[in-house]
Amino acid sequence: MARISIKDLQKTFGAHRAVDGISLEIRDGEFLIIVGPSGCGKTTTLNMISGLERPTGGQIVIGDTLVNDLEPGERGLGMVFQDLALFPHMTVFENIAFGLRVKKMPDAEVRRRVAAAAAAVHIEALLEKFPRQCSGGESQRVALARTIVTDPSVFLMDEPLSSLDAKLRVDMRTELKSLHHRLGATFVYVTHDQAEAMTMADRIVVMSKGRIEQVGSPLDIYNRPATRFVAGFFGMPTMNFVEGAVVASGDRRSFRADDVEHPLPAAVPAALAGREAVLGVRSEHVLVGDGASLKGVAQLSEPLGDTTLVHFDIGKGRRLVAKVGPTAAIEPGEALTFQFAAEFCHLFDVHNGARLY
Amino acid sequence: MKTAASAMSPEQARVRRIRRERRNRIVRHAVLLAWTGFIAFPIYWMVMTSFKDSGEWVTWPPHWVPHAPTLHNYAQIFAFSSIDPSLSRQAAEQAFTIWKGLGDSLLVCTTAALLALLLGTFLAYSISRFNVGGKYFRHTILTIRMIPPIVIAISILIYYAILIPYATGAVFGARISMFDTYIGLILIYTVTTLPFVIWMMLTFIDEVPYTLEHAARLMGAGRFTVIRRVVLPLVASGMVVTFLFVFILNWAEFLLALTLTHPEVTTLTVLLNKFQSASEGRLYGPQAAIGTMITIPVVVLGILIQKHLVKGFSFGTIRR
Ligand SMILES: Nc1ncnc2c1ncn2[C@@H]1O[C@H](COP(=O)(O)OP(=O)(O)O)[C@@H](O)[C@H]1O
Ligand SMILES: [Mg+2]
Repeated sequence: MARISIKDLQKTFGAHRAVDGISLEIRDGEFLIIVGPSGCGKTTTLNMISGLERPTGGQIVIGDTLVNDLEPGERGLGMVFQDLALFPHMTVFENIAFGLRVKKMPDAEVRRRVAAAAAAVHIEALLEKFPRQCSGGESQRVALARTIVTDPSVFLMDEPLSSLDAKLRVDMRTELKSLHHRLGATFVYVTHDQAEAMTMADRIVVMSKGRIEQVGSPLDIYNRPATRFVAGFFGMPTMNFVEGAVVASGDRRSFRADDVEHPLPAAVPAALAGREAVLGVRSEHVLVGDGASLKGVAQLSEPLGDTTLVHFDIGKGRRLVAKVGPTAAIEPGEALTFQFAAEFCHLFDVHNGARLY
Repeated sequence: MKTAASAMSPEQARVRRIRRERRNRIVRHAVLLAWTGFIAFPIYWMVMTSFKDSGEWVTWPPHWVPHAPTLHNYAQIFAFSSIDPSLSRQAAEQAFTIWKGLGDSLLVCTTAALLALLLGTFLAYSISRFNVGGKYFRHTILTIRMIPPIVIAISILIYYAILIPYATGAVFGARISMFDTYIGLILIYTVTTLPFVIWMMLTFIDEVPYTLEHAARLMGAGRFTVIRRVVLPLVASGMVVTFLFVFILNWAEFLLALTLTHPEVTTLTVLLNKFQSASEGRLYGPQAAIGTMITIPVVVLGILIQKHLVKGFSFGTIRR
């Protein structure tokens, strides 16, 4: 059983809390992605699961075994490292075979399994080469094969694609996803790239400053971010945030920031009226054009091909970004009108960033 | 003059700069050449003297090259048995063959260098990986090496010749002296060269990414297997370089050997010194011949190391 259960895991380096009490249930066979900005404790968390780093506090249970005191090699895990960590003095074959040789497996069996692992990631032709003779993408596959060959029930991956160029990185996403499907093993994958997380994960864990901000499916996290941090972390361009207050207008609530007022959905509870809040709305939910009543001045327009991003000013130094159709021609300096798609507005606490609605 | 300089055209300024650079280069090379001559002259004189017969050792005006070149000095120092009477000037010559010194030097230098390499590599590993001794320990180690040997020579002599025999005599009833023993000299060489080994091996081990070891451990390798299969193969060329370097240090060491041995253990540098105090007079020729023979391996190993150092430090095999 490749279920991993983490309870109140902590790691401190001196006075610095790198991982500050996280609890998490990793399900058997899922593709779980831990995502967060650099330095938020992702690698430290993964290293504690693998056993390379000793927790300062908390428990890690793999299957039904408390593994806190087990050696890394005794946990039945495989890991792909950020810098790949291929052994430079061994051929690709010996790199892949290393884990089997350590277990004193008979030579014929080693050959059979290395060949199978190499075939799984299409590197049969590389076996006699040395790592320095392999390209970035090939090295990547070697590192994968080296992990696959030991047949672990859990794969840990620490930013395995970060050394690849953009195009290859996108191709490898698809390949990793299908590899996960074929192997049926549990993948725990760490990245700082929100797009990577969105495209591959069954579930996403968002971390910030050593803590978990939110756990959920990619769409959950995108559509109902639990905190302002999560809301800002996912999506390109970054979500628009406007500071202001919730006010009552008749039997509905609306959002007011100085002289800008915008109605909120009917479901926003009455208790929020009068409260300071941050309104969050994604650029694709900012509607520019006819019928809108709020006014802004366009500053910059960025054509992306399929869409165009319009940056505009709504006074008091507030700038918003709207995603408009590729044919909309909006010149800098041009006055425009806009409104928000009310059902896609998010409200966050001004101080701790928690979701209010 | 200030105005003249500022009025100079760019072309003039360029010519001036080129002239100044050329002048600097000439001065620099002249200084270096003079220094090289200063350093190399005694070696030249030694090699020349080793091919001179006794009549030519001290002459005025000096003979820059031997007028009657001879291999007599070499025949004498490499003699296995009593040499041809026609060649032999003095009966005492037999005492000055190279063999005893060569044997002792090889034994002491090799053993001490291997011991220092073994200890130093593991110490360097723990400093590199576990920060043993704290952040600045590696620098502290290097400062130990700044203590001149003369400062410790006498106190070590007191330990070796007086305190240790006395203590063992009192405790075990048998006086065990470390003075004039192979073990005594090997130990002191091991200790004095250990800082170099640690420092050099640190640079090599630091070059091996720690994640290589992490990867190996996750694949089920124990600490010992990781060191044997991953770390050692990657620092092997560094270990060879370090061994040769330390071997040269030991090979050329004189002060400690002179202080801590006599008459039994005789390293080459100490043997060399004996010619001067010999009651038969000063045997410059054989002395120069031995000096030349001691120098040759140092030069050869030096050249070897130079090649390896470049390869060792840039490492070749590690790709980041
Ligand atoms: N061995 C260590 N000693 C001291 N601080 C460390 C160590 N490892 C990591 N840290 C610190 O812990 C924090 C989290 O690091 P890490 O888990 O590597 O972050 P991430 O992988 O999310 O970028 C960082 O602030 C980092 O500086
Ligand atoms: Mg990291």
